[in-house]
Amino acid sequence: MTFSLLHATDFADRLMYKIVPPLKAGMIVLADRYAYTAFSRDVARGVDRQWVRDLYSFAVRPDLAVYFRVTIDASLDRLLARRVKLKFYEAGLDMGWSTNPTESFRIFQSKVLDEYERIVPEHGLRVVDATASITEQQRHFRRLIADTLENVS
Amino acid sequence: MSTPPPADDGARGGATPGCYYGHGLPYLSIDQYPGKIIAIEGTDGVGRSTQIRLLREWLEVQGYGVVETGWTRSPLMQPTIELAKSSNTLNKLTFVLLYACDFADRLEKEIIPALKAGFIVLADRYIYTAIARAGVRGVDSQWIRRLYGFAIAPHLVFYLKIDVDALARRVLETGGMSYWESGMDLKAGDDIYDMFRSYQRQLLKEYASMADEFGFRVLEGRRAINTIQDELRRQIGEFLETSDSPKVLSPGF
Repeated sequence: MTFSLLHATDFADRLMYKIVPPLKAGMIVLADRYAYTAFSRDVARGVDRQWVRDLYSFAVRPDLAVYFRVTIDASLDRLLARRVKLKFYEAGLDMGWSTNPTESFRIFQSKVLDEYERIVPEHGLRVVDATASITEQQRHFRRLIADTLENVS
Repeated sequence: MSTPPPADDGARGGATPGCYYGHGLPYLSIDQYPGKIIAIEGTDGVGRSTQIRLLREWLEVQGYGVVETGWTRSPLMQPTIELAKSSNTLNKLTFVLLYACDFADRLEKEIIPALKAGFIVLADRYIYTAIARAGVRGVDSQWIRRLYGFAIAPHLVFYLKIDVDALARRVLETGGMSYWESGMDLKAGDDIYDMFRSYQRQLLKEYASMADEFGFRVLEGRRAINTIQDELRRQIGEFLETSDSPKVLSPGF
């Protein structure tokens, strides 16, 4: 619960200082993670689904939300290839499900991915296949953004 | 009597004492916990801490285990809240959320373990303080109540009521008017005396509007310390007599 509320506080702060002013100035705000991260991660930690949605009802609804979908194996491979050690919270080690970081990561992130699959239809997220090459992903991503910009302007 | 509201509506009247207002902490079931939670509410300077100190002595002498918990006293959040207050960058949402985080930490780490172990938890301020402060700052009242749906409805809530004139004199006699207790963050003016009065008046209005809904037991805060304490002891004593737990430890145990 404190994990969830601290992130919400951080988000409220950034909303006020970093997101709303540029929107008012007519700029495009690119958000690396948004409230949907909280919807998936906090629920995977046992917070109530509806409660966390109500909590973030002060957030601005994005014009476009894109979910880069990846399998648990691909995500583990990428992280382990790059880093020596999985981060404590990223691996959900605070939950005490497993003392093995890789095993804990697999359990925790699987729950996170399950929540994302629920969020995608619920909030109309557009999905990009994140196992494709970076070029392919970027093309798809740009197309989604171009469509959105055409529709809103 | 109206029927109890649906759980997803968060903190509101009609909740069963000792149970979560709303969804609570889904990963922490608190069913049948023997402890009791008693909240003392009231604006700054009304004498809450003094009353709680006296209550604690009285309860402990009778053999009850007592745990005190107070607003912004969580070890996790207290330094952060102090820092945030001093940095002048808090907005109404971050202000409200930091307090909620402090409360969540104390709920999980202090209040629930104490209830489980059969303690009486004396809460110096409770979520009504947060709801009142948020109300004055124009935060959506539905949203703040849903937010505090993770809180436990206390068994008893006492509200020490006082009028602005008496409160102003009392605060000036003790520590003086503080920036936050005068609502100076609302930037409604420069004169701390005027701001204190206007801010506290609005807070009192918020508390008053919650009194019926949440079943506050209202005590006149201008009366002598001992008179208020006697009344608190009488009502708490009655409550503890009629409840089946917690049991007083017998001598020699």
